[in-house]
Amino acid sequence: MTLKYLIQKEFLQIKRNAFLPRLIVAFPIVVMCVLPWIMNMEVKNVVVDVVDNDRTTQSQRLVHSIEASNYFIFGGLKPTYAHALHDVETSKADVVLVIPRHYSKQLAQQRVPQVLIAANAVNGTKGAMGSAYLSQIVTGSLPAPHHAAVVAQLNLYNKHQDYKLFMIPALFAIVIMLMCGFLPALNIVGEKEAGTIEQINVTPVSKWAFILAKLIPYWIIALFVITVCLLLAWGIYGITCRGSVAWVYVLVMLLALFWSSFGLIISNYSDTMQQAIFVMWFFVVSMLLLSGLFTPTRSMPQWAYLTTYVNPMHYFIDAIRTVFVRGGTWHSIAHQAGALLAIGSVMAAWAVHSYKKNS
Amino acid sequence: MNCIEIKDLSKSYGPVTALHRVSFDVERGEVFGLIGPDGAGKTTLYRLLCTLLLPDTGSATVDGYDVVSQMDKVRRCIGYMPGRFSLYQDLTVQENLEFFATLFGTTIDEGYDTIRAIYSQIERFRNRKAGALSGGMKQKLALSCALVHKPSVLLLDEPTTGVDPVSRKELWQMLLSLKEHGITIVASTPYLDEVRCCERVAFLDQGRLQGVGTPAHILERFASVFNPPGINHSGNGEIASDNVIEVEHLVKAFGDFHAVDDISFAVRRGEIFGFLGANGAGKTTAMHMLTGLNQPTGGTGRVAGFDIRTEHEQIKRHIGYMSQRFSLYDDLTVAENIRLFAGIYGMSDDDIERKTDELLEKLDFAAHKHHLVASLPLGWKQKLAFSVSIFHEPDIVFLDEPTGGVDPATRRQFWELIYDAAARGITVFVTTHYMDEAEYCDRISIMVDGKIKAMGTPAELKQEFNQPDMDHVFTHLARQATRSSD
Repeated sequence: MTLKYLIQKEFLQIKRNAFLPRLIVAFPIVVMCVLPWIMNMEVKNVVVDVVDNDRTTQSQRLVHSIEASNYFIFGGLKPTYAHALHDVETSKADVVLVIPRHYSKQLAQQRVPQVLIAANAVNGTKGAMGSAYLSQIVTGSLPAPHHAAVVAQLNLYNKHQDYKLFMIPALFAIVIMLMCGFLPALNIVGEKEAGTIEQINVTPVSKWAFILAKLIPYWIIALFVITVCLLLAWGIYGITCRGSVAWVYVLVMLLALFWSSFGLIISNYSDTMQQAIFVMWFFVVSMLLLSGLFTPTRSMPQWAYLTTYVNPMHYFIDAIRTVFVRGGTWHSIAHQAGALLAIGSVMAAWAVHSYKKNS
Repeated sequence: MNCIEIKDLSKSYGPVTALHRVSFDVERGEVFGLIGPDGAGKTTLYRLLCTLLLPDTGSATVDGYDVVSQMDKVRRCIGYMPGRFSLYQDLTVQENLEFFATLFGTTIDEGYDTIRAIYSQIERFRNRKAGALSGGMKQKLALSCALVHKPSVLLLDEPTTGVDPVSRKELWQMLLSLKEHGITIVASTPYLDEVRCCERVAFLDQGRLQGVGTPAHILERFASVFNPPGINHSGNGEIASDNVIEVEHLVKAFGDFHAVDDISFAVRRGEIFGFLGANGAGKTTAMHMLTGLNQPTGGTGRVAGFDIRTEHEQIKRHIGYMSQRFSLYDDLTVAENIRLFAGIYGMSDDDIERKTDELLEKLDFAAHKHHLVASLPLGWKQKLAFSVSIFHEPDIVFLDEPTGGVDPATRRQFWELIYDAAARGITVFVTTHYMDEAEYCDRISIMVDGKIKAMGTPAELKQEFNQPDMDHVFTHLARQATRSSD
């Protein structure tokens, strides 16, 4: 019963805040309109310099096929390797292709010519992907007998390897993290700074009622924001959830339980906004980078991989991608959902325990 | 010669007029008081004089420099001490002072002459963090910081609000001693004894200058504000014989420091009990234990019949509390605040609706029902906070410095509400730094260094210590404190 009045108060305060209602509306829109375009692991626009020591029709054909590719920008023909390397050093080129003298002659003699591909590997992904594409083009430009055995590739679930489809469900994790983790934490520390929490603490209101009243509004906001995100994904990118939307909401609520409890724990131990934000930020960045959102968790070192067993973001991202991209059912996410619920419950218990009305 | 000249100064914030055509002069070397209720425009005037705000119309000069066109020169020659929070709480005393000295391109040694009298009193705590100082010492440090660059004009915005009477007297002695250095002082204060220390005072009300003159002249002319007739307290007969608060050997220790050091007392039902003490004497800590916010380290206590150790949540059902820091939600309206707190105590929607209207009618507040609390003047907020804290008809109400920073007339209205509550059988447990309010209590205790040094009716205490009024009794006892000098 008391809960009603407390929740009403929270909504009124959110409404009166000059900034929060706008944030709540603007946040999902910005996240969904901007981030899917840029969170993209594809490598494009690699600048290639060519040193053609052969100067035959064969080598010309190779150069033309580079020019024609979507992935490359042709940086021009350079007289020597040293010239090309200079371009790399001044960041004008990313990859150098050196076609040896007698390239076409060797081809004609059925021998194997050696071309040199030198890539600037400061940005490891760009270098590796760039040189891999380039070797594909070189191999492809060779006459038939030189083709290696053709390997058939079958991309399951995300046929076109669309990064947007891969990233959008993961963005939900970021949205929940900020809406349900930061906002309630800052809200409680704000009451501490204003002194009103002391007034609440001398009333008979129960710990549970007070904390639930802090969380429920943000859970409702999270559901609203996720709904907006789902609609935007459908409207802008034509991407819809492959599996049941109900599971998406279940997973979102489980993650919201974790983040809001976690935010409360931090706010209970912090005295100032500054402290709360800083501690929260530390955990947010660590959990995000260790979650597998950007990089596959399997390629982490063993000790870092072990942290993913307690990282709710990892379970969430794993599960939501399974549901959203692959159309997984309850059986394929039961393990992750169970883990999320377990971590969330422990945190919720800790949050209520660490809030002290009497110390 | 005039040190400060103010001509036709006006300032509005949107539709709100903070100052309207204010003109007066302050002579060089004068101690000038700026008085008026909360929201009168005092702080706006200070901020205009120290060039933090630009006036809408009119002009002002400080030490011969115009506050608009010669801003840089004005800033060099003034020392400004805003009401609160002018220190860095996590820097030490010395670091604070060095910081402010560096800001003005000087050093502590260069400015030492001016601040010697004040700084020498706190110099032995130079390695203590400013946040760990008592209220009185903080203000001494803030004053040192404002003086370190040898300003010719000192602007003090309520320097003694929330400071206990002994520290206040010391602070004013120092201010008066600054006259020797030829420093002009403009200070605002809600305390009448401090007003009387000034040579001349200006009375501002609602942004308009009501009068300038000697303190005696102004206080007499506006006696309705500054010297309201005393209140007759007739509720004495209704005090029952049973105790509603009983405390024995109560101790609260933080490490080695005993904030509350073995206190025992009892408060009878229906009584108005004044719980006095200097800053840092342990009043708030004791009150926190009684209201179930803190666990005692030792001793026992019962409030409204419940044990403060084990039954603190039951205690909370039977008490009301108004904290030192303002305790309503600024971003909710008057009605919403009442509804929230009434709802927490389990009142039904209909009851809340009906009682809200009754209350606002009684307080003459109905027009402000849907105004945000943030927009109300301080005195009104305090009256409202008190009314909210007794809205659920508790057995006891705890008030922690409820009237800080407001003028005598508003404080008197506040005490009428307290008497009203007491007449309805609510026990009132109140702390205050105003000694005239101490006289309004049925019984008082005075805490010094965590212990209760005196307890009884105001008349008994005056007789016991052979002093003319409560102010002298308090000063007499508080001067024995050793804690602030350890």
